[in-house]
Amino acid sequence: MARMKRRDFVKALVAVPAAARAMLGGRVATAESAAAVSSPTAAAGTVVVPSMSKAVANFDYRTQMLAASVPDTVAATQGHFFNAQQMATLRRLGDLFQPAANGYPGATQAGTPEFLDFLIGASPAERKTLYLAGLDRLNTEAHKEFGKPFAEVNAEEADKLIRPWLRAWMNDHPPTEPYARFMNLAHAEIRTATMNSEAWSVAATSSGERAPGIGQYWSPIDPDIQIYV
Amino acid sequence: MPQEKVDVLVIGSGHSGGMAAKILTEKGIRCVMLNAGPIVDYQKDRETKAAYELPYRGMNMPGRVPHVWQANEFNANVWVDEKEVPYTYPQDKTYNWVRVRLFGGRSLFWACQSYRLSDYEFKARDHEGAGDNWPISLADLAPYYSRVEQIFRVRGQVNGLPQMPDGNFILDDSPWSGAMQRFAAAGKKVGVPLCKARVSVGKDGLASSINLLLPDAMATGKLTTVPNAVVRQITVDKNTGLANGALFVDRHSRREMEVKARVVVLAAGCLESTRLLLNSGLANSSGVLGHYLQDQVYGPGVSCSVPEARDGKSNSRLMGGGGIVPRFRNLDTKAKNFVGGYALTVGGGTGGMDPKNFAEYGPELQKKLDSYYGSGFGIGLMAAVLGRYENHVSIDKTKVDAWGIPVLHIDTKYTDNETNMVRDAVDTGAEIAEAAGFEVLVKNYEPNPPGYSIHELGSCRMGDNKKTSVLNKWNQSHDIKNLFVVDASSFVNGGWQNPTMTIASLSMRASEYMAEQMRQGNI
Repeated sequence: MARMKRRDFVKALVAVPAAARAMLGGRVATAESAAAVSSPTAAAGTVVVPSMSKAVANFDYRTQMLAASVPDTVAATQGHFFNAQQMATLRRLGDLFQPAANGYPGATQAGTPEFLDFLIGASPAERKTLYLAGLDRLNTEAHKEFGKPFAEVNAEEADKLIRPWLRAWMNDHPPTEPYARFMNLAHAEIRTATMNSEAWSVAATSSGERAPGIGQYWSPIDPDIQIYV
Repeated sequence: MPQEKVDVLVIGSGHSGGMAAKILTEKGIRCVMLNAGPIVDYQKDRETKAAYELPYRGMNMPGRVPHVWQANEFNANVWVDEKEVPYTYPQDKTYNWVRVRLFGGRSLFWACQSYRLSDYEFKARDHEGAGDNWPISLADLAPYYSRVEQIFRVRGQVNGLPQMPDGNFILDDSPWSGAMQRFAAAGKKVGVPLCKARVSVGKDGLASSINLLLPDAMATGKLTTVPNAVVRQITVDKNTGLANGALFVDRHSRREMEVKARVVVLAAGCLESTRLLLNSGLANSSGVLGHYLQDQVYGPGVSCSVPEARDGKSNSRLMGGGGIVPRFRNLDTKAKNFVGGYALTVGGGTGGMDPKNFAEYGPELQKKLDSYYGSGFGIGLMAAVLGRYENHVSIDKTKVDAWGIPVLHIDTKYTDNETNMVRDAVDTGAEIAEAAGFEVLVKNYEPNPPGYSIHELGSCRMGDNKKTSVLNKWNQSHDIKNLFVVDASSFVNGGWQNPTMTIASLSMRASEYMAEQMRQGNI
């Protein structure tokens, strides 16, 4: 048998506790379960690994979890989906729909327009079209009504362009007319993207309140393996 | 001894498969259970995270599980990946097929609503001349319902209503909140009852196959469980015509495997069981396999506010709690433009309201949300869909899944009957809310696509006539006597009720029959 290379030996060391943990389903190992792990004669149907030395079987290295940050902590999204005019329209819409208030960030401070540029740009064609057409129409109507781009309208002027299209709706049923659908979905998504941002979470923590958007995240569960041949 | 024949092969591990395994192993019968997905570890596979830590700020990865409206970025990994196991439907007939392949299946995530069917459903043809009768009645299933309710620890009240049969409950003696009392009083004036919901309490917050059923089976030492086994075909002995096992693929390695069995029990979840039978070319002498698919209409509803709870006055005596309005149409009288019935789920909230309920934005919206905090009252709908021959599934021969297994084509749609029922439900719910003094904020008449309720039923229905049904009244194939299908594909009429109690009861009943037939040597 060829001598085990050092890197393979290290791999084996790291792999052992991982395999043991997987078989024990994350529970604390008992003497009985440890025996099942190390014994090739375990009951039929159980998973068996080759015998291990006592030192290796008792190896219990625990990874020290490093504190980590999300990219938004140190960097801004580089948008490339909306053109400059559409982005300016979206930024103004974000300021109106979700302004900063009471120590909480608004859409701008939460980087929401840039995040939506990424999200919508990564979305199916139908959603892309909805946003592109909606932002263009909003800007066109601003020019038509007030002789300036939407990015430059004041709150009163903007209200005349927005309010007629707002609807009360529920569940998964936004308005079906495309422009009303854009207006109401953009409103909901600007709010959600802002309130789910790190900036909002920091503000909530600072004010002693519970940040929204905390949940139980499910990791990929025993995901499929790749076949290479 | 891999080629040794097992007594019973159970395919699927949800409530129906879990119940079959429990009953059979407790009678000393050796079972092998195959499940297409892995075993979940709640400690290892879940962790608390903030939305901003997820790649899409909790707003879902675009294009992922587009038909699972219940999915979000937190739970996206528990649903079947539609790219891995696709399905097709006609362009104008969207179907939301919501699937879980983890061990325990959808029993891991169900809402625990626990109702019996009544003879209005079991004998629908007799009652209103629509749909078909089941080959069994409530009296046949009642003893099994009682035992299932005991296992699941169903909490509820005894109401004495024939359309919502009473059962073996842990008594729910919690008081109604003020808002619920007002809704109940307003409903009573127009003959609409309000009852406490019936809920499976289970154990440790879970009422799943993996904690209520499979542990009992495991304790017998008679159950062997194999995860990650994707079954492609039920096999048949050419000489006898009987089922003799299954071919499956190891999910990870794609290794093809064969298992032999004396009896085969299909419990893969309604449409997966039917897909497997269709792909195997079995049990379809009637020609109705795949037909009579049904579910329940979800999505329409009413969003309200209780004025007295606004502006900081909400409290637990006034708000909170929920209930169910069981079917009240087409019992003693006849609705003018639909057959069958629906139930309403109603309840008051004590937290923030959905901003979508207000046509406002910015500071004005925030004022509304502050004022209306704790005053929300919602009405949802569960409407029956009759089994119709034309609503059906078939095999799409042009497409296969990640394991090379042909996929399902689902062709179903709602009709005027459902549309009319929805309109009646939403209008009636809103009228009662207004009569109770609530402000109606939004009404939605638009149903979610078929399948959304995750209550797909039928497509392998039972019946006494083997020319018009696939299974007999014991969930046993008319064609192949050692083949049983114990999940919701056997349903004839699903009614408005959440189906889990019926699924588990049918599986219990079928499994006891099966065990006795095995004991007598008939199968």
